[in-house]
Amino acid sequence: MKELLADFHIHSLLSPCAEVEMTPHHIILRAAQYGIGAVAITDHNASGNIPAALEAGAQYGIVVLPGMEVECAEEAHIVVLFDTMEQMDAWQQIIDASRSGLKNVPEKFGGQFVVDAEDNFIREEEKMLLGSCRLTAAEVVDKCHALGGICWAAHIDKRAYSLLTQLGFIGSSLQIDGAEISRNSLAELSDKKLKPLVDNKPYLTNSDAHMIDDFIHGPKNLLRVEQVNTTEIKKALQNIGGRSLQPGAFVTEKV
Amino acid sequence: MKLNEVVTKLKLQQVTSFAKLDMVVQGGYVSDLLSNVMGQAKPGMIWVTMQGHHNIAAVGSLIGLAAIIVAGDAKVEQDAIEKGNDNDLPIFVTALSSYDIVGALNKLGVTNEQEKK
Repeated sequence: MKELLADFHIHSLLSPCAEVEMTPHHIILRAAQYGIGAVAITDHNASGNIPAALEAGAQYGIVVLPGMEVECAEEAHIVVLFDTMEQMDAWQQIIDASRSGLKNVPEKFGGQFVVDAEDNFIREEEKMLLGSCRLTAAEVVDKCHALGGICWAAHIDKRAYSLLTQLGFIGSSLQIDGAEISRNSLAELSDKKLKPLVDNKPYLTNSDAHMIDDFIHGPKNLLRVEQVNTTEIKKALQNIGGRSLQPGAFVTEKV
Repeated sequence: MKLNEVVTKLKLQQVTSFAKLDMVVQGGYVSDLLSNVMGQAKPGMIWVTMQGHHNIAAVGSLIGLAAIIVAGDAKVEQDAIEKGNDNDLPIFVTALSSYDIVGALNKLGVTNEQEKK
């Protein structure tokens, strides 16, 4: 069993709202410096920078899992996580087929850049990545699971784009694997006031970083697993066989 | 004003299956944030939303709404329709936008004046 710091909700410069300093290589470099053993790049409805993150991760010995922050039809955010780029490519096709087709307006929403593992510019994404897809929350969860991934409700404590805010509560019929608490409400980890409203789903915390400082100092999870993959993370969320995921963990290394 | 009068005048299409719609409408509310509706809408109101998720029926019956109108041709989940039927909560759809249907409700005299007094 290994124990490591894990942050599974990070935006790269492909997300229009993220800073350009959020290149996959920069994120991985900081992860290595600050002892963050596993990360997921989770851009809005997009996966274009994950290949660069996988390459940089291999170079620095950081585990990278392909992820995405999806906006479902109810206008709430769900983070999905997979093990391989093949799964992510299949997922991206599902998302692309259910999107608006609007073009991004970089001056208003921010640029959306795809880069390589050495920070070189590859292309600018022209499709608008913000906005909801036509899949309902239940469809996102079911389709993610069908592809072998796991998913959780993002930042349920926030006022915007939270499944809890949009839907009032999360019922047991939604087979989602967890609920994420944002950095704004870490007291909720002990208060557990929202737990009954989210069907007692296990909590996790991620930085949801849009800039490097937030990535370094934002909340993470102390993950105890045999291997870092979605099957093991699912077991960790359910505390099966000595595996665990402890939210509210932070970097302790000084650089 | 009674619900059946509102339904006829605004040409609302019912997706649930209630024959008797003679409850009195006590005003209205419009929001797509269910957490907000739970705190703000009052019993007997008509709620206008574009959310078709099955939680709308749970929230509506919890409050004791007169009815829900799902606006803008938004799709109502089958589970929402079933829960509406199980919880005595009629659900209607309209092609009109939330803005237009709320305007029409106001013109009909479905307002929250009573509550404000």
